Amino acid sequence: MTEVLRLELPLWQVPLLLLLPLVLLGMAIYALRRSLRQRSVPGEEPDWSVPSLEEAAGHSLFHRWEVRCKLVSLLLYAFAVASLQQLGPALAALGLSLLALLLARTPLPRALMRLLALSGFLTMFMIVMPLSAALRPGDTLVVFAGLEWLEFNLRGLQLAATIAAKGAAIALLSEPLLATAPLPVTLQGLSRLGAPEMVGQMVLLSHRYLHVFRQEALRMAGGMQVRGFRKRTDLPTFHAVANFLGMLFVRSFERTERVFEAMQARGYQGRMPAPLATSLRSTDWLLGGVWLLLGLLLVIFDRWVG
Amino acid sequence: MHISDGVLPTSVAVGSFAASALLLAWSARRTRSEELPKVAVVSAAFFVASLIQVPFGPTSVHLLIPGLAGALLGSSAFLAIALGLLLQSFLFQFGGLTALGANALMMGLPALLCGLLFQTFKGKTRQRKMWVGGLAGGLGTALAALMLAALLASGGEDFLGVAKIALLAHIPVTLVEALVSAMTIGFLARVKPELLEPAYLKHPPVHHD
Repeated sequence: MTEVLRLELPLWQVPLLLLLPLVLLGMAIYALRRSLRQRSVPGEEPDWSVPSLEEAAGHSLFHRWEVRCKLVSLLLYAFAVASLQQLGPALAALGLSLLALLLARTPLPRALMRLLALSGFLTMFMIVMPLSAALRPGDTLVVFAGLEWLEFNLRGLQLAATIAAKGAAIALLSEPLLATAPLPVTLQGLSRLGAPEMVGQMVLLSHRYLHVFRQEALRMAGGMQVRGFRKRTDLPTFHAVANFLGMLFVRSFERTERVFEAMQARGYQGRMPAPLATSLRSTDWLLGGVWLLLGLLLVIFDRWVG
Repeated sequence: MHISDGVLPTSVAVGSFAASALLLAWSARRTRSEELPKVAVVSAAFFVASLIQVPFGPTSVHLLIPGLAGALLGSSAFLAIALGLLLQSFLFQFGGLTALGANALMMGLPALLCGLLFQTFKGKTRQRKMWVGGLAGGLGTALAALMLAALLASGGEDFLGVAKIALLAHIPVTLVEALVSAMTIGFLARVKPELLEPAYLKHPPVHHD
């Protein structure tokens, strides 16, 4: 196979092969977004729009796994998945991530949120790649009679699908990786692994402020709406957004300064006193070994197929 | 727009992780402990700003604020942005775990550059600060878009189309960002001018209660 294969399809197949998948994809994303929004509307329900990583009750395999071991082996595994180049192994990785998600038993809406966040970027790939992939010997081009200028490269589509599968696999894996321990524990694990302790402290601080800020931003936005502000594409709107942002900065700086002074007055010296009980048991090592082996197998499978 | 997992070639992903780690260490060393909460504020604001939608014709864009972060924090901006991205990836999946290094480079380097630009040329008057701030804001986004395109294009000629689209999609964002940055800087220059001075970050004012 060194020639470029041209598959010519009749025009009536355009709606079937082109428009239908797009419409289905759009509907799926819309339905997902709607169901997540509805879930967060009632007052008592947790607000998933800024998902908290702190509530991590559970007794799954992933919850009991020692945090350093979990971080190292799952991150290495994620890199192994990211390096895959064929569709088959990438789909296998996606299946493994689903399995891990089931084992970890973390709340499903959060995993869906992650997929939703990915969908925009990946949809762009799915649409652009078949049209723009470089032509190589052995490629298959699909053209529709009457629309000859529109050439779909099947290899491009396959490449985009591989990327989407890898992205979704790693996104789903971050739930078992990050949501099965409280955020401070995960960060302490990171600093035990050599990350500067200050980075962990900063992430904790920002994580706290994040919720404060969002509340503040929502309150300010509500105030603007009540006063009759509607967003348009004009200079006054930009001005209002800029003042909004500036006010957010000013208020947050002042508030943070007060909080930090209060923390220092109570003896804060750059670390929270929270001892982390760590003992690596043999099951931790075993679990880590299993994931690394899985990653290695995926890479071998990938090279063998390719 | 953040790069998701599995897009970049492994060598690029690992290499940018190493480069970001070095820059992060440098940026963290230049940040004194009194400034930590301020850096945390900008990280969190970086996060909240990406939730603000600004209408642009029929679509809407969200702000990226690498230029503003640079103008406010100087050399600590890289730290703030890397932390903001870490949280965005952990919480929202905006940007993949394995692409964290690449995303930090893409946003952090323009922030450092624009911070330098702003602090060097900001001058004394509010008018001038607005002009330079707008320039820094627009340039920050434009540079981030260029780096995004370059990183995407590192995947080979198959990715050139995606890189071009990503670049084009950032043109409206750059325009909006330049305008909004200029006005935000103008607002801060009027309301709390000491925020724009690096001296404020180095020697916070002493409160006597």
